[in-house]
Amino acid sequence: MGMMGLALAWETRIPPVAQRERRVEPFGKQAAASDSVAETIRAEDLALATACQSGDLHAYERLYTLHGARMKNLARNILGSSMDAEDAVQETFLKVQRSVGSFRGQSSFVTWTFRILVNTCYDARRSRLRKKEVAVEEEREDATPRPEPRAASAHPTLRMALERALAKLTRHQRDVFLLYEVEGFRHGEISEMLEISEAASKNTLFQAKKNLRQMLEPPRHSDASGAR
Amino acid sequence: MNINCNDRDRILEDGTPAEWAALEGHAANCANCAEELRAWRSLSEAAVELRDYSDSPTLWPSIRRSLAAQATASEQRQARWSWHSLSPLPHLSFSWQAAAAAAFVLLLMLSAGWLLRPPTKSPQRSTGLLRSKALADVESAETAYVEAINKLAAEAKPQLANSETPLMANYREKLFVLDSAIGDLRAQAGQNPSNAHLRFELLAMYQEKQRTLEEIVEEKR
Repeated sequence: MGMMGLALAWETRIPPVAQRERRVEPFGKQAAASDSVAETIRAEDLALATACQSGDLHAYERLYTLHGARMKNLARNILGSSMDAEDAVQETFLKVQRSVGSFRGQSSFVTWTFRILVNTCYDARRSRLRKKEVAVEEEREDATPRPEPRAASAHPTLRMALERALAKLTRHQRDVFLLYEVEGFRHGEISEMLEISEAASKNTLFQAKKNLRQMLEPPRHSDASGAR
Repeated sequence: MNINCNDRDRILEDGTPAEWAALEGHAANCANCAEELRAWRSLSEAAVELRDYSDSPTLWPSIRRSLAAQATASEQRQARWSWHSLSPLPHLSFSWQAAAAAAFVLLLMLSAGWLLRPPTKSPQRSTGLLRSKALADVESAETAYVEAINKLAAEAKPQLANSETPLMANYREKLFVLDSAIGDLRAQAGQNPSNAHLRFELLAMYQEKQRTLEEIVEEKR
């Protein structure tokens, strides 16, 4: 829906930034955290889980301090609204508190929390759809998140184009793209969150980026004729 | 490493660092692959535009309030559970409560009879007590109670089987543990039918199972 109209040449839409992204995995898996760092992270994660299990509200505050912004950002990208995103984050914390007793450390506590968040977001979307009780055609339209205005960004047009393109991806493709490219999770973590294999996560990301590229890339002929 | 354009998609999906380096080297002399690589990276860079980690000053206070309220409610429920577990059969109808009370009185009488019995030499008399009608009544009341709980379990079954939420997983685990404990206690009670302590423990397990099933059914509603 008008995606091509928004398309500009990649060179003009995307400023030159550092060649390497913050998570080096796709361009250099050698950057995997060292054993000792990984061990420290695991220990902190376990300590956080244990503190939450004991009912310590400070532990939840720490969880929020460490991951709240990322949780809200992910929820907003899935739901398309800051208010809904805040509701989803709050509901997630309540669910974590209710079921933390059953957390057995089968995955990291943080990925477990994000899994609950993703499920909560989709539950919210489903209930929003049910409430609207609109015609099937309109439901289809509403099934995709409606991005709302956000804080000013360097490239609002690009962001809008990307949001619209993301809305056209399948749920899994959108989730993997958001978790990997936007939130910076690794495929191992994503596979735990979405309960898929690591290979499936990689393949889904590949398909997502291929589709996004098709949607965002301007047709070749317009490059030639529309050069400014 | 020798690679060509046909390797590009595989490397983009799951290439090793060495393969990425080789692809970059190949792209230096291949316009198509150079364009693909550039577009691929551009998408990752564009994704940054979807990051908005701005602070929400009201969110944490609101979450904190909800967490505290939920914790208090949970504590109250726990306290109520403890109290109810002391009271006889809290969620049962009057007829069930009457049956359970009768069973309880019979158990007390049996226990008292057992404790105050005159010393005997013959094991036959003890066997006679174990086979008494009163005990048969207790066992029949227990059987009826178990049947009632089984009906409740049947009602909760779809909710338990179809929901993959952590809460339901928790309930499944709890019911599994309760069933195991009930199985053990029943085996022990079978070996020593007039042991009132075992009967009380068994009753407590049944009550807990009943409460758990009622919560599951309530969740469904």
